[in-house]
Amino acid sequence: MSKIGIVIEREYMERVKKKSFIITTIIMPVLMLALMVLPAIIMNFVDSSATTVSVIDNSKCILPGLKSSKSLTFLPATDATVDSALIRDGVDAVLVIPENILTANRASLKFYSNGPSSISTESDITGQINDIIESERLKTYNINNLDQILESVKSDVSLTTVRADKDSEESNSSAFSYGVGIAMTFVLYMFLLIYGQMVMTSIIEEKGNRVLEVVVSSVKPAQLMMGKIVGVALVAVTQILIWGVLLAVMSAYLLPALIPADAMADVAAVQSGHFDQVSDTSSIEIIQAVGMLGNVGHIISLIALMTVFLIFGFLLYSSIFAAVGSSVDNIQDASQLTSFAVFPIIFGLIFAMVAAADPMGSVAFWMSMFPLTSPMVMVARIPFGIPAWEIILSLVLLAAGFLAMVWLAGKIYRVGIFMYGKKPTIKELMRWVSYK
Amino acid sequence: MDILQVENVSKAYSSHLALDNVSLNVPAGEVYGLLGPNGAGKTTLIRIINHITAPDSGRVIFEGHQLTQADVEHIGYLPEERGLYKKMKVGEQAVFFARLKGLSKQDAVRELRKWFEKFDILSWWDKKVEELSKGMAQKVQFIVTVLHRPKLLIFDEPFSGFDPINAALLKEEILKLKDEGSTVIFSTHNMSSVEEICDNITLINKSRNILSGNVDEIRRQYFGNRYDITFGGDARTLMERLQPLAGDFSLLEPDAQGRQRLNFHLNDGASLRDAISAANESVVIAGLNESIASMNDIFIRAVKEDSGNQV
Repeated sequence: MSKIGIVIEREYMERVKKKSFIITTIIMPVLMLALMVLPAIIMNFVDSSATTVSVIDNSKCILPGLKSSKSLTFLPATDATVDSALIRDGVDAVLVIPENILTANRASLKFYSNGPSSISTESDITGQINDIIESERLKTYNINNLDQILESVKSDVSLTTVRADKDSEESNSSAFSYGVGIAMTFVLYMFLLIYGQMVMTSIIEEKGNRVLEVVVSSVKPAQLMMGKIVGVALVAVTQILIWGVLLAVMSAYLLPALIPADAMADVAAVQSGHFDQVSDTSSIEIIQAVGMLGNVGHIISLIALMTVFLIFGFLLYSSIFAAVGSSVDNIQDASQLTSFAVFPIIFGLIFAMVAAADPMGSVAFWMSMFPLTSPMVMVARIPFGIPAWEIILSLVLLAAGFLAMVWLAGKIYRVGIFMYGKKPTIKELMRWVSYK
Repeated sequence: MDILQVENVSKAYSSHLALDNVSLNVPAGEVYGLLGPNGAGKTTLIRIINHITAPDSGRVIFEGHQLTQADVEHIGYLPEERGLYKKMKVGEQAVFFARLKGLSKQDAVRELRKWFEKFDILSWWDKKVEELSKGMAQKVQFIVTVLHRPKLLIFDEPFSGFDPINAALLKEEILKLKDEGSTVIFSTHNMSSVEEICDNITLINKSRNILSGNVDEIRRQYFGNRYDITFGGDARTLMERLQPLAGDFSLLEPDAQGRQRLNFHLNDGASLRDAISAANESVVIAGLNESIASMNDIFIRAVKEDSGNQV
């Protein structure tokens, strides 16, 4: 086995055998699933306390139209003043409706609450009152059969994007693509930061306990650096692949089991494009999301592409981290220099947000070509389905960026590992590059 | 035959010149001392020999050819600052280093077992390095250095951190390796160990080679024509009397009987007989013998002279 292979093996085995690695690798997906599912389960089981609103209706025409729901109960106020109504038992809030609410263009409602009020309560109230006012105003036009007309006029459309330029007509939900893109960007961001810093701290440690000098008397410093970077990259890939497999298994088996049969029928209907068969109980967006999540092939191809960008992005960034780690003696000194790696990663994250909102825009395009930001920005765009040539070009540029960075980092590393004491300046780092 | 030749090697860092045109030849099968004050450039030279850094100019010849990366498999290096992976198990770690030096896994394990048994540390195999004491870790490190039976061994301060018993064990092993055909380069400040085990030395001061050669010859030549006189009487009178014939006087510690001792250098051309009679007229001579300088004296004197020349 080549020496670099021996170094890779050591770096890989040392990390994979750690208990903390095994635990996070297995626990994380379960935890994430729990985070997604738990709120829904809690919502089902915990009967959230209903808010009781005492209504002082000065216009006399709104209160009869207000409908109480599970979470919101309306009561006619028996008291004349807000203060006395508020202190009554069982009353959480008082709603005051002005006299001119039907005639005024912009009327203001007053809502006095004993405690914090939720946005959903407020939007529920304004929504109901808007509906009542609209129908009351319509009534003044004296149209016959108004209710029937309104019922037949009512519409509830949903948009499903079908990519015409693709061979297979797969339906796409933009919201879902956005969510997946952002999620993958965050995974990438975390991996680049955590694993990149792992490379850095491990170099600082080797330098600190002087084992480095023993190792470089057997392998070239550049080989040791590459061995470490590749070894840690393999650990990251191992983790991602395990998570990918777990996710795929959950999508294929767990999801159908968790989702009620009628909802799954809706999913099937949406996937075949028959929206009229969908029972109106569920939101079409959610159904589409579930449909895409259940598409195991799609998930796997997304994770595979993300892994490719993760590997190349990691190789690029970890060379920066390696150069920083080699040039300082301790973590404290490193913090300032790590900004060379951390800032571009954060910029990448910000541009990824922009790209996810507008995946075909020019900002998204150029930032997904620039090697330092491309891993995160590209991963945010990929779920929307972008041309293959863009992905390939981005990867080629990223690989070129990585090679240039490794060369530079290797030069700094080779000198830095023997420099103890003073923290080097940027100028000194640049001078190291020119050493023989 | 010389196993290693360093020819006109120079190396500069941004702030200073670490090596200035240094040349030396290390004969095969000998113990070669590399001496010099702290910061003289020894470690830089060792790193160049280990192919860790490249010289700015000059070259290193190993077994007759220019040193390459492949040659490091025939070199074993024990750095002054010892270091092992703290979280790794002793056995795994030793196997790792052995494989880096070109041994197969099986060979590494077999050889390691032999050495671990010899040093009576087989029970440490599955311990983590951080559980070992400093001296224990040193033993492991020594084994790692010599395991692949290198033709050239480089020890940088090998005895530091060892207790006298283990230091003696180590010295024995180093000499045994030499007998088995290995060449040893030995960098140290411990001059008595240089006298004991080195055949040849090079003294580096301020980046330059200021003294090279066989230890016995250097000791004889460097301080040649020097004598210690043990006497009773006035030292000042003695020095005045000897003045025409000798110089460079230094008063030594009195001997066990409390008699005074003076070290002097006999001038070229002056006869020892004349000096003795001159001394005899002024003091009572109790004894006179030729002084053989210790490596310690040579080291201090050579470095002082070199520094004086430069000022």
